[in-house]
Amino acid sequence: MPTVELNNIRKVYENKVAVEGLTLRIEPGTMFGLLGPNGSGKTSSIRMMIGITVPDSGTVSLFNKPFDRDALKRVGYLPEERGLYKKMNVLDQIVFMGQLRGLSETEATRRGKQWAERLQITEALPKKTEELSKGMQQKIQFITALIHEPELVIMDEPFSGLDPVNGALLQDTLLQLRSEGKAILFSTHRMDQVEKMCDAIALIHRGKVVLEGNMRDVKNAYPRNRVEVVYEGDNSFLRNPVVEEVKEYGGGITNIKLRGDGVTTMPDAQPLLADAVRNGTRITRFEVKEPTLEEIFIERVGGNVDA
Amino acid sequence: MPNFLLIAKREYLERIRTKSFLVMTVLIPLLMGGGLFGSVLMTKNTHSDAHVAVVSYDERLAMDLQNELEHGKNSEMTVTVIAPPSSKTRATLDGELADKELDGYLWIRSPEHAGSQPVVEYKPRSSADISTRDTLQNGLHTVLMRERLQSQGMAQTEVNALMQPVQLNTSGTGQADDSTAQYVSVVVLFLLMYFVIMLYGMNVARSIIEEKTSRVFEVMLATVRPADMMAGKMLGVGSVGLTQVAVWLTAGFLLSSTAIAARVTGGANHVHLSASQVIFFVIYFLLGYMLYSSIAAALGAMTNSEQELQQLNMFLVMPLALCMFALGVVVNAPDGKVATIMSLIPPFTPLIMYMRISLGHPSWLQVGASIAFMLVAIYAVLWIASRIYRVGILMYGKRPTLPEILRWLKYS
Repeated sequence: MPTVELNNIRKVYENKVAVEGLTLRIEPGTMFGLLGPNGSGKTSSIRMMIGITVPDSGTVSLFNKPFDRDALKRVGYLPEERGLYKKMNVLDQIVFMGQLRGLSETEATRRGKQWAERLQITEALPKKTEELSKGMQQKIQFITALIHEPELVIMDEPFSGLDPVNGALLQDTLLQLRSEGKAILFSTHRMDQVEKMCDAIALIHRGKVVLEGNMRDVKNAYPRNRVEVVYEGDNSFLRNPVVEEVKEYGGGITNIKLRGDGVTTMPDAQPLLADAVRNGTRITRFEVKEPTLEEIFIERVGGNVDA
Repeated sequence: MPNFLLIAKREYLERIRTKSFLVMTVLIPLLMGGGLFGSVLMTKNTHSDAHVAVVSYDERLAMDLQNELEHGKNSEMTVTVIAPPSSKTRATLDGELADKELDGYLWIRSPEHAGSQPVVEYKPRSSADISTRDTLQNGLHTVLMRERLQSQGMAQTEVNALMQPVQLNTSGTGQADDSTAQYVSVVVLFLLMYFVIMLYGMNVARSIIEEKTSRVFEVMLATVRPADMMAGKMLGVGSVGLTQVAVWLTAGFLLSSTAIAARVTGGANHVHLSASQVIFFVIYFLLGYMLYSSIAAALGAMTNSEQELQQLNMFLVMPLALCMFALGVVVNAPDGKVATIMSLIPPFTPLIMYMRISLGHPSWLQVGASIAFMLVAIYAVLWIASRIYRVGILMYGKRPTLPEILRWLKYS
């Protein structure tokens, strides 16, 4: 039973197509990554998922039922642009958001304090929101999105603007939520995070899905055509015919893309290594890898990325 | 608690707790009281205490005038009489004027023809001293009239009796009442309604813009209906307005029944409001607030910043200002044609009809019709405003054009 099911969604603003034929499913207990360059339609898709806007055509189902505003009480949303009442006391703010989702005042207060402890911001509770740092506000926003224990958590760029420590804290929280059986969708530019955390992804470009599916399947669809090399000395092996593209990062660290699409011709790193050994190049590292999500992403959307 | 009530409660509590609310609640009555006190003092003190010289061909006329100006009803001047003048008088007086010993002098010459008024020239030190000039003019008029009447053979006592001002006893519905006090109270309430509707209408718009710029909307809309948000906001902000008015009215009643107020306003003038005046005030305040705050909600949703709002707020201010301009007409003829027509046009109804109910005698049919028209207008404006609001709050960037707004209305 999917938590979210979008079926052939289309949305047009004035004269611009924001989302075209988007179909996706998110299962409970999984983490779903929505990827795409800026302006590709991620936020538009999310907004339709939670009824802020209505699709021009196609259907949205939440919790296996056609979209209904009552379902929103089971959804937690963290928008890309953080929105908190600046002048409001932090705890009041958390309690208010909890009450709007149907919690009692005492229950909302109890959970708010519990969450604050978990995210290590108890000292911020009696303060005014505007007195807090951006990262602190981010955590408060995080709490307001989760206070009602939603079964579906939707987060637009949850890690932007967080330092590594707090980023890891929130990441752990999300992983914890997944293990509790919640469905989590988040959009991000940070592919390393997606790669580490997500069970499934959809890559959107110009309103259309260009790549979608289970993370394993997506990556398996690409041949192991990357070689990470660290070397010293002669570099003539880089001009071997099996090499399609070379990126040198300095210090001898090099990223190589091999020829071969994995269907008609298989990429093969062996001639490269042989070449290097023959030329007396000193190899300290030679690893054949599948492409990272970032590399897939760039390959699929071509040069049209301004993300 | 339903969501719109939660939103209203939040809005109410957050606003009540602000310093500006406290300051406004204390300051406005002080300013208003100060203004009233000032205007009472002003009307009391329009009589001049200037030092003037009266130069006259006729000593008796000059003495009469001196008596009138020094001891007359509206005057406490010091008057030096020079009669008849010598050739050096003018130079001396001009010198005293320049030395600021005199505030002005009056030069009365004999009439050119027998039976006409004497020729009078007035030379003030400052041409801006209007009250002295008016007092002189009035005094001269009284004296000349009295003299003329006496010269026609009327006895002194008869003349004095004739020159007494007429006392009017105003009674509206049979029983005598204190019309000045009532007039003042009603005008104060009119101003109060004007300010509070304008202030809290603008507050609705401002708080929407604030939620727009702080992007609270995204979070809120993922939880509650736009209609709930708008209703909650209007209800919350409106309740703050009502609270403020209630504080003011209570304070007003308490203060005005004390001795200080009675002294300040000169005796019997305590705040004179009937229960119906208070009830209709609340009814029309609520209707007016509903209408104007829904307009304000639409304006707030359409704009992105306070500056942009400034450019559009004439839609709020203009109708209210028109009522202000019409105040004189309505006060003079509360049941006249202008007042009657205006009181039935919804944007003007709250203020104008309230004035009419307080000062005139509009028929129950008109009162009923004005409320019905208001309700229809509020419904229509709310319908439009809620549509603009729903789309507008998610629109950032440039201000929408009129065709765009018309398109918004069609969105389901």
